[in-house]
This record gives sequence, structure tokens and C-alpha cells, in this order.
Amino acid sequence: MTRDWWKHLILILGVIIVIAPFYMMVSYSFKSPGEIDRGEGGFFGRQEMMVDERCVKLRDPSREDIAAAALRFPDTTDGNIRNALVAEAEADCAVRPVVFNYTKAFSEAPLLRYLLNGVIVTASIFLIQVVVALPAAYALAKLKFWGRDAVFALVLFCLLIPVHAIALPLYIMLAKLGLTNTYAALVVPWTISVFGIFLMRQFFMTVPDDLIDAARMDGMGEFAIVWRVMLPTAIPALLAFAIFSIVAHWNDYFWPRIVVTGNRDLFTPPLGLREFKGDGDGSYFGPMMATATVIVTPLIVAFLLAQKRFIEGITLNGMK
Amino acid sequence: MAELSIENIAKRFGETEVLKGISIDISDGEFVSLVGPSGCGKSTLLRIIAGLEEQSSGDIRISGQSVAGQRAADRNLSMVFQSYALYPHLSVGENIAVPLKMRRMTGLQRLPLLGNIMPGAREARGTIEQDVSHAAQILEIGHLLDRKPGQLSGGQRQRVALGRALVRNPAAFLLDEPLSNLDAKLRVQTRAEIAQLHRQLDATFIYVTHDQVEAMTMSDRIAVMMGGRILQCAAPDVVYEDPDRIEVAEFIGSPKINILPVEVSGEGRLSLLDQPLNLAVPGANRGVASLGLRPEALRLSGEGAPIHGHVVHSENLGSELYVQVEVTGLEEQVTLRTMPDRRSALTLGTPVALDFDAAKALVFDADGARLRKLRNLSATTSEVA
Ligand SMILES: Nc1ncnc2c1ncn2[C@@H]1O[C@H](COP(=O)(O)OP(=O)(O)OP(=O)(O)O)[C@@H](O)[C@H]1O
Ligand SMILES: [Mg+2]
Repeated sequence: MTRDWWKHLILILGVIIVIAPFYMMVSYSFKSPGEIDRGEGGFFGRQEMMVDERCVKLRDPSREDIAAAALRFPDTTDGNIRNALVAEAEADCAVRPVVFNYTKAFSEAPLLRYLLNGVIVTASIFLIQVVVALPAAYALAKLKFWGRDAVFALVLFCLLIPVHAIALPLYIMLAKLGLTNTYAALVVPWTISVFGIFLMRQFFMTVPDDLIDAARMDGMGEFAIVWRVMLPTAIPALLAFAIFSIVAHWNDYFWPRIVVTGNRDLFTPPLGLREFKGDGDGSYFGPMMATATVIVTPLIVAFLLAQKRFIEGITLNGMK
Repeated sequence: MAELSIENIAKRFGETEVLKGISIDISDGEFVSLVGPSGCGKSTLLRIIAGLEEQSSGDIRISGQSVAGQRAADRNLSMVFQSYALYPHLSVGENIAVPLKMRRMTGLQRLPLLGNIMPGAREARGTIEQDVSHAAQILEIGHLLDRKPGQLSGGQRQRVALGRALVRNPAAFLLDEPLSNLDAKLRVQTRAEIAQLHRQLDATFIYVTHDQVEAMTMSDRIAVMMGGRILQCAAPDVVYEDPDRIEVAEFIGSPKINILPVEVSGEGRLSLLDQPLNLAVPGANRGVASLGLRPEALRLSGEGAPIHGHVVHSENLGSELYVQVEVTGLEEQVTLRTMPDRRSALTLGTPVALDFDAAKALVFDADGARLRKLRNLSATTSEVA
């Protein structure tokens, strides 16, 4: 009993450490800049009306505005009219912090566009990875051919190469091909996933040979076996791989930052976060965290949906 | 339906020679069992016949046509695997339909969703469904068609595997120990059902097993394999009563045959433990030989019997009683079959004298080859007397 206590305590501590940044992110996305600065307001903030400084600044009355408003405010000086207009603007620009943060997230940068880019890029990467990895893994696991072990050793070796080590040559290659600032630059370098090949190969090793022989007897060719037999039995492992792949490329900041230099239309969600970085005054932490929250939400939802099968896949326990 | 002829098949995995020249002709509609101890190459031979493995040398003909270089799918053979090998993600009905779909439908017609609107797909699906339900009816699994293999018992899975094999009317059925994952009772039942299925379909069956009882009860012929060779291929009763080699005699029959070491003296007379027997092998070389006696060839006897010993164990099977006798001067115990009513007379430790039926005696030379020319001296002497 006491031992269980310790286990749980340690797990809870671990959970707190992992959750804390998320907690901060979500909480900041609810709060006003003042609350963020002073670190008050609990999780949700007090949600008092706040004034959007920028909105007010944009409506800073010009001479014409004041002249135009003179009719509405008779018998006062220009200075008073100006003050009245500013007060009006401030009233119009008053919003709840949560609304402010999230509208800013979507209006300051084309976040929807970034999200769409993220979906296009991660989905293409994952699909092509599957198309490459499944036949490769099948061959490595179940076919006998000369040099198979050497090829598998190469796959293992490739697992050890850090992305950053080959980033520069990759960039140069893409640049020479004129592919920088295209979707292809974001997708192509990741289409062959040695991790995917390795993971699927390990899973396929557990698929009984008899099943494959039965498929051959039933008239399937090797590709038909991959797509009609191996793929359906490997769904749990594939889901596990999907999560690794999608999380990695959805959240990737490094590579898009390198190959997408000018064209904002190609920005992926993490690049979108940068839009708030330049301000420097810190008042945009709220919208920034709102953006971050929007970016991670699809992943978290997807994970929750796939959670059960994902864990099955990690334990490589698909058959039987 | 077709006859198969296997000509001098050899198979090497690297250095190890697993099959060393196997030849056997199987006629149309015949049920042939391949039996042998584990690792003797039965599955390898079956996989070579199926086309799942390539032989190192030799040829296979199906209906007279060599199938060298033909893919497994094109040989029109069905195989039932020990592990059943059902597709776990497909329902029973879909599992049985797979071989038909792969053969009768084009790649386009098989596409999910889109396939339904391809010309001819509907008709193809219709006839496939009919064939599946016909196969299901033969095997009495009609009520299981919508289940997944994971939701079936071992026996039911086994039937589904059979269904998948028979649905496309193959030239021959290849079965690799299909019953070994079933419990004893179900095994006996399914054994009978497979034999019945064979009669019903009138198809060629090649049945691999290491269980000699299965082989004995189901087959037209048994091929006893050992060490990559077929030692004997004959009808079950022939293999049992008239084995060519000592290994065959030892492998077939339960309980095992009793093998007694004997000496061949001049004129071929045999002697057991220095006691001359009333049995001679004319023309045999002097030296050691083996005398094989099935438990039913032994009988209780009185004075003057060649074998003496005492009871160490007995097993009553109800219809018969098997008695283990420790023979003075021999390391191996011998097993005797007798009537259960003798049980009270054969309690542990009882001294017994055993005689044998010379007509049922099997004699093998030092190499294990059968010596068929026997002369029963007791008969001749009694005739003389
Ligand atoms: N792919 C292979 N590579 C190397 N050796 C193999 C291979 N397949 C089988 N063997 C060897 O060939 C021999 C015969 O194997 P096989 O599976 O045919 O035996 P079996 O008679 O079916 O035995 P069991 O009754 O146990 O199934 C074994 O010694 C096995 O180790
Ligand atoms: Mg085997």
C-alpha cells in the first residue's frame, strides 16, 4: 500500500511537470496583458473588460474626424471633441480578454491558412511515409532477398542521424532544384521515414508467416498482401506511427523556418507563432498563447480519439 | 480434381538437406497422409507442392503438367494451415470469399466503394456470395458468417479455414496439421468430419500430421517420412502389418511395437537372450537382428515360453488391457495387449511368461531393413511330429 503511494506520488509529480506549460499556455490565452504581467487572476483571469490599445490607436481621431464630429458635439473646443471621440473609441474597443486574445490570434495572422497548410503538409507527409514504409517494412520483415540484413542495418543506422546534421545539404539540394518556398520543400525531405520502416517492420515480424502464405494461396500478389492483409492487421501500429509522425511535423518549427523564407502563404502553424514575437513589449502574450492553444488543440483531440488503439500499437500487440 | 506426381524432390536450406529425393504419385481423389516425427520435412514438402517454397531439384506435376516456376496462386491448390491463418480483420464470410474475389474479380471491381459501380461487379459479388453460403452450408458454419475470426472457437476457426480452402474447388487440398490446435475430443470429431468431407468432395487430399492415429484413420495411403525420405508409402493396414523398415514399425502403432534384440545363428535361426526361438530367417547373415512384436502379437503362456518377466504396470482402456512387462535380461519393457478380464490375474509383480504369434512376428536386420522370408520352425516340427 505504502509503495503504491510513492508510485502515485511520483507519477503525479511527473504529470504536473508535463502539464504545467500547457496550463500556463491555456491560462494566458484567457487573461488580459495586465493579469499576465502581474500573474494574477487564477486560471481564467477575471475577464474584466479591457481596452484594446491598438484598436484605439487605429481610431485616433484625425483633424477631419474632429471636424466631422463637431456637429455632434456643439459648443466645445476641438480638444474636448477629441477626448470625447477617444472615449467613444475606447468604449467600442473594450473587449473581454479571452475574446481579445482569440480574435487577435485569428486576425493578426491568417491562422486558418496556417492551419490548412499544417494539415496539407502533415497529411501529405504521413500518407507518403505510409506508402513508402509499408512495402519496405514488409520486404524487410517477410521477404527473403540477398542483402536484407544489410539493408535493415542501414535503416537502423539512419535512425541515428539527427535531422539537423543533414538540414544544410538538404536545403542546398532543394534550393538547387528550385524547390524552396514550395509545399514540396516542406514535404519531400520527410517522405521516407526510417522510424516508420523500423516500427512497421517490428510489427510485421509478429504477423504469422502462415497468414501471408494463406494470402498467396488465395491469389494475392505481394503488393496486394501489403495493402489488403498487412495494412489492416497493422492498424494499431500504424496509428502509433501516425501520432509520432503527425505530432513531429505539425509542431516542427525548424524545417519550415529554413525552407519557407518569404511566402507567408506557406507558413505552417508554428511559423505563425512568430507573428507575435516581434512586438517585444510582451502585451501580445495573450494572443500568442491563444494561437499556441489553437495549434495544439487538433493534436490533443486526435490523440484522445485514438488513445486506446495508440497504446495497443505501442505495445505492438495487434495479433491475437 | 487432379492427380499429383512428385518426382525426386530435394530441398536444401543452405547446408542442411531437408528433403533427399522424395517421389510419390497421388491419384485423383486419393487421401494421402504424410506422417513422420517433428522436423522430418513434412511441412517443407507440402509447401513445395503448394508453390510457397521452391525445391532445390525435382519436379511436380499436377494433372500431368509440370508446375515448375508457377506461382502458388496459379497452381489451383488449397491449403489449410495449422494456425488456420484467417484474416483477422475480415468477417468469416469475407474470409471465405477472398480466394474467389481474387480470382473472379478485376482489381478495379475489388476497390472499396468504387468497385461497386464497375460493370460486372454486382454479378460477380452475387455468385461469390452464393458459393460462400454453399461452402458454409457444407461445413455448417452458416450462422457464423458475420463474425470475426477472433470471436470464434478453435474448432469453428478450423472449419472456416476449411471453408476458405474448399470454396474454390481446387485441384487438391493440402492440409498441414489442421487438427493439432484442437482439444482431444474435438480432434476425434473433426477427424471423422474431414474424412467425410473427402468422400463428399471426392477431391485429392494431402494431409500432413505427426499423429499416426490421424493418419491411420483417415487415409487411403500413408507416406511415412523420416529424415527427409519417404520410408514407405502404402495403405494404413499394410504400413501397420507389413512395414518395410524398423523405423516405420516403430513410428506406426500405439502403443509402440516391442523391439527385442535377437541373434541370428547358423541356418538363420533366431535366438532371444541365448534361447533359440522357433523362428528362422533363411539366408540371413549371422549376427544381431531385431524382432518386432506388436502388443497383440504377444500372448500369455506357460512353461517353455521364450519370454519371462513380471508385471510392472497396466493400463485398462476398458475394451482392452495393456500390460507392461519387465523382461529378465532386457532393458526395455515389453507391452502386451490382452482382455480386461485378465486384470485380476495380472496384478503388479505377477510373474508372467509370454509367447508370440510367429505369423505376426516382424524381423529386421541390423540396418533396420525388413527380413520377409521367415520360417516358422514350431509349425514344421509339429507337422513332423
Ligand atoms: N526456412 C527455413 N530455413 C532453414 N531451415 C528450415 C526452414 N524451414 C524448415 N527448415 C528446417 O527443415 C526441417 C524440416 O522442417 P519442416 O517444417 O518441414 O518439419 P515438419 O516435418 O513439418 O515438422 P513439424 O512436425 O514439427 O511441423 C527442420 O529441421 C527445419 O529446421
Ligand atoms: Mg510442420
